[in-house]
Amino acid sequence: MRLAVELAGIRFKNPLIAASGTFGYGVEYEGLIELERLGGIVAKGLYLRPRDGAPVPRIVETPAGLLNAIGLQGIGIDAFLREVLPRMRRHDTALLVNVCGDTVDEYAEVARRCDGQPGIAGLEINISCPNVTQGGMAFGGDARMTHQVVAAVRAATRLPVIPKLSPNVSDITVFARAAEEAGADALSCINTLLGLAIDVESRRPRLGFGTGGLSGPAIRPIAVRMAWQAARAVKIPVIGVGGIASASDVLEFLIAGCPAVQIGTASFVDPGIFERVLADLSAWLEGHGLDDVNAVVGTLEYPGLGRPCPQER
Amino acid sequence: MGYDRAMPANRLAPLVSRESLGGSFFVLTFAHEETAREARPGQFVMIKAGTSAEPPLRRPFSILSVEPASSTFSLFVKAIGPGSRALCALEPGEVAQCLGPLGRPFTTPVPGSEPLLVAGGYGVAPFRFMADEMQREGARGLLFYGGRTAADLPLLPRLSGPALTVLPATEDGSLGTCGRVTVPLENHLDRLSGSRPKLFACGPEAMMHAVARLAERRSLPAEVSLDPWMGCGVGTCLGCVVRVQSAGDERPKLRCACTEGPVFDASRVVWPGDDCSSARRAAAACEEAPRAVSGSEAAGARG
Repeated sequence: MRLAVELAGIRFKNPLIAASGTFGYGVEYEGLIELERLGGIVAKGLYLRPRDGAPVPRIVETPAGLLNAIGLQGIGIDAFLREVLPRMRRHDTALLVNVCGDTVDEYAEVARRCDGQPGIAGLEINISCPNVTQGGMAFGGDARMTHQVVAAVRAATRLPVIPKLSPNVSDITVFARAAEEAGADALSCINTLLGLAIDVESRRPRLGFGTGGLSGPAIRPIAVRMAWQAARAVKIPVIGVGGIASASDVLEFLIAGCPAVQIGTASFVDPGIFERVLADLSAWLEGHGLDDVNAVVGTLEYPGLGRPCPQER
Repeated sequence: MGYDRAMPANRLAPLVSRESLGGSFFVLTFAHEETAREARPGQFVMIKAGTSAEPPLRRPFSILSVEPASSTFSLFVKAIGPGSRALCALEPGEVAQCLGPLGRPFTTPVPGSEPLLVAGGYGVAPFRFMADEMQREGARGLLFYGGRTAADLPLLPRLSGPALTVLPATEDGSLGTCGRVTVPLENHLDRLSGSRPKLFACGPEAMMHAVARLAERRSLPAEVSLDPWMGCGVGTCLGCVVRVQSAGDERPKLRCACTEGPVFDASRVVWPGDDCSSARRAAAACEEAPRAVSGSEAAGARG
């Protein structure tokens, strides 16, 4: 069974990638699961400097979902390169760094510091975090800013550049095209949906930050729709993210046109999910007479649209 | 992390037995070899009934006791929310998803140290486990066990033994001393002369804060087990952070209660709204001083 996929010049040994913000820096899971079994890992978002993030409470459960406002707490890119990367290099899996910034220059500088670092396979550009007051979604909610950030990062590094798009926009294809034009090698679709949960007794938001980002199975149909729309709008590959908890969920994104996917919230629930989903995915492919996962990518038969041409991969 | 601890194991744990203690309280016993073998008092498991999507997250539960010989451990669970109700509805043979043992345990009291344990409601769970360990070590102590009413203390008959003398307190006076658990605790401390016992506390945040203040006032060492909302249990979601002043740090830092706690030195914790602790004074330098612990509001919805 061939499970390996290649996109943006990165080889992933299987299409299952740990999503940023839900897998720490990877090292937290050493010994608990076999990191080598993952197709890839996107490390938690990193700014130039360490950040404390948002006030507690930071997470609340919602129906089939999780609303969070962590606020990109992190150790900063230099501590990551110095303390975490040498440990992560020992694991044979594609490691991507999720790049954050309050300004365009900060994004570019974080990217520059990652450039040429052995063990970093690519950069995911976080222009879609809903839980920060500067940067984040402010860049991902304005197509010109999206273009500007992606172009600045593109110019700062030779690493593959993968912007993570926000679903909190009216037409994601505009942002997908802007990122592609600015030199993105691939896209991650989608980040969390902006939400608000209210404690009716105190009449206050249940999260310390106020609003938060919704993830988990609740958002999957929205994520599949947006990843599909983005994949149709651009030539670069789209990594599907949003609410995946089973092999069937993975297949929805693959069929919609994503050669790889990210699993996030579900790994909080079960850190062993990657192994389980991979086994189920292999079994499904085998049961359908397929020996290569790439064969299902982009095979959606959408009424009135027929089968899209397989994208260049 | 500062000390050795066993790697947690993530596997399905069949329910071995379910015992109702009346009301919505249960003792649930699960088969989970690693937790049974390696867990220490104060550690917890992340657990969820079955494999259904709802509620989404596992829940943290402090370990009540372990039985290494039968590879089982027990939890003391109050069925109050969707997660705990689903756990208490499991039939023997049905499975839970379980990750454990997790977290930093309490320091084990040494013989002769006469520790004072302070528990509120179902926060008593780790002290049953600690009593077993103290008994093995030949240590003895007092447990102050408080609740609103007698029905909140269903574990009472199982706590007294060679290692522990239990002093219950209820706010309505239906059992033991009338008042909060800190009332008999203060009375006891007032009568002590010379000895400086260590305090161990687990319960509602307000109770632990009160114990921390009391310990600071009387210059007694204290460990508290904090209970903020946890998403993952392994330090990646950063949902359960608390502000803690560590030795050598210029100012309090955010620490994950799941990996660097849940047990903390009480004098290091920056409590919400507390202006008098040394940790809080140091924290005044922070530009941003959010509340340290999220447990209180979340408590009604969790479980």
